[in-house]
Amino acid sequence: MTDTTMHLTTDEIELWAQGLLPAARALHLSDCSLCRVEADRERKVILELVQLAKFAPQPGFADRVMAKVKVPTPVKDWTG
Amino acid sequence: MFSLLFRMVRDRALAEDLAQETFIKVLNGIKSYRPEFKFSSWIFKIANNAAIDHLRRKSIDTLSLDGAPSAETPEQMRATSLQLGDRAESPLDEVENRELGTAIERAIGMLRPEYRSCILLRHVEGYSYEEIADTLELPLGTVKTYIHRARNELRVYLEDRRD
Repeated sequence: MTDTTMHLTTDEIELWAQGLLPAARALHLSDCSLCRVEADRERKVILELVQLAKFAPQPGFADRVMAKVKVPTPVKDWTG
Repeated sequence: MFSLLFRMVRDRALAEDLAQETFIKVLNGIKSYRPEFKFSSWIFKIANNAAIDHLRRKSIDTLSLDGAPSAETPEQMRATSLQLGDRAESPLDEVENRELGTAIERAIGMLRPEYRSCILLRHVEGYSYEEIADTLELPLGTVKTYIHRARNELRVYLEDRRD
């Protein structure tokens, strides 16, 4: 088995989906329909995941948090 | 961090409460922060623990097409797996979770919490496997297994929806 004949591992498929798989290993996909199908399915899911929306809390969230944080009492400086 | 919490508990108000709890713990416990640990990982760790604790307390049941995380053989996985139709969202859930109403969001919501944390940290937050292992205090192999199983479940769910 060589770089181009050996089936891709799950980790390699993830690298390919992210465009990070070395070219020598990626060549295998042009010859192997089994890996190609698997890689395409994996890429679709990964693309959907990376495109997910970012959510933010309601306005005023930071103020509500800070209102509940214990603010340390300043230590009185007796030297000055 | 709020996105992670929202997707973990699937309730905006609750996610906000947990985010608040997380930041209060972070700010009040800043002296216990260890600089060798990535600061954002520390926050995610506290947030994730808050979400997991909540889910455990509430015993929100999740299902897995691949069975229990501890399942090693195909037989064990079959024996501990459930069918997708077993936990459909009610119409009320769907209204409440409009923001999480797309097929991929619903599929994420059906993952067991451990898989959900890992897949969100990996593909939404962009953490490496090693960073996830550190953040969630899990062995690297376990993180890889969870992520591969989670992606497989998501694929099955999404392909099932398209058929």
